[in-house]
Amino acid sequence: MELLYNNRDPVYLQVVRHFKERIATGKLLSGDTIPSRRELAGQLGINPNTAQKAYKEMEEQGLIVTEGNSPSRITSDTVILGRIREELLTEAVDTFLASVNNIEVPAEQLLSLIRTRLEKKQASQSDQDLGEKGVT
Amino acid sequence: MIELVDVKKRFGLKKVLQGVSFTAPRGAITCLTGLNGAGKTTILKAIMGLTPIQSGSIRIDGSAPHQAMYERIVYVSDQLTMPGRMRIADCFTFMQDYYRNWNSDRANELLARFQLNAADKVNSLSKGMAAKLNLLFGLAMDADYMLLDEPFSGVDIFSREEIAAVFSSEMVEGRGIILTTHEIKEIEHLLDYVVMLDHGRITKQFASEDMRMEEGKSVVDVMREVYKR
Repeated sequence: MELLYNNRDPVYLQVVRHFKERIATGKLLSGDTIPSRRELAGQLGINPNTAQKAYKEMEEQGLIVTEGNSPSRITSDTVILGRIREELLTEAVDTFLASVNNIEVPAEQLLSLIRTRLEKKQASQSDQDLGEKGVT
Repeated sequence: MIELVDVKKRFGLKKVLQGVSFTAPRGAITCLTGLNGAGKTTILKAIMGLTPIQSGSIRIDGSAPHQAMYERIVYVSDQLTMPGRMRIADCFTFMQDYYRNWNSDRANELLARFQLNAADKVNSLSKGMAAKLNLLFGLAMDADYMLLDEPFSGVDIFSREEIAAVFSSEMVEGRGIILTTHEIKEIEHLLDYVVMLDHGRITKQFASEDMRMEEGKSVVDVMREVYKR
């Protein structure tokens, strides 16, 4: 697991976000066991107290469940899991909107620009994919 | 918990500590930081009873330090003090013979972790390797508290990473760590508490996660504010 920290946001929340991203992209699935607090600290290079705090937060948000002494697991609550993707996307869009706020661009122009850029990006990605396939 | 209350210390006319108060809980990493001459090393030495204080009190788990208590605290100075002609293996034998709380299993585990060779002589080690060996001597002791003076000082980036990794491992679990450092940028995400010193006074102390949460500032941001004069 690779995680780059920014030092201005609480590290434990960055860890929670890291887990949300892995869930949203299907790298972590409902019911999957997750590393112990100690293992996580070692893997992510964080203070064990921070790992503990991150797990506590994820338990409170219902992302993980811990029963007795067995390892914690990703929840099987599909409602909670479904919300994660939406939450991450909304957050990313909000950040983006804040960053373009100063430019005072009309909504229509912004939307059409996003569409153009997105299509361009997807086209270049599929070119790359084809290229890679061609090599092998 | 290590607790300092209004600790004052003079060297001759020079006031080195001018009423220092802070607590360092067990199971947490507390970092003393500040520019040169701020009094960081003096604080560690005062806790260890290696230098007398003029006034104030130092308490460890609620009581004044005494001989038996110092077996539960390890102090790692910024210099490796083993004689240069000794091999690492000989150092281990020496530690085993002289310290009741030396933990051989942990020492060997750390040897592998730090990629050190037991047959190497102390004076043949690079600066980075010497720093790792120095830290190893402290970590291999069964102790409740560890005081580390500049564990990252003058150490190459790869050794720094290996040393930093120790602070996210079971090696520090349950122990109280107080460390001093200049190299705060790379390790700030590992710190629980930060105590900033300037000319023997505490200018700011805080929990680093609280600082990020409440003010959106990194430890380095706060250092810039505090020390920019």
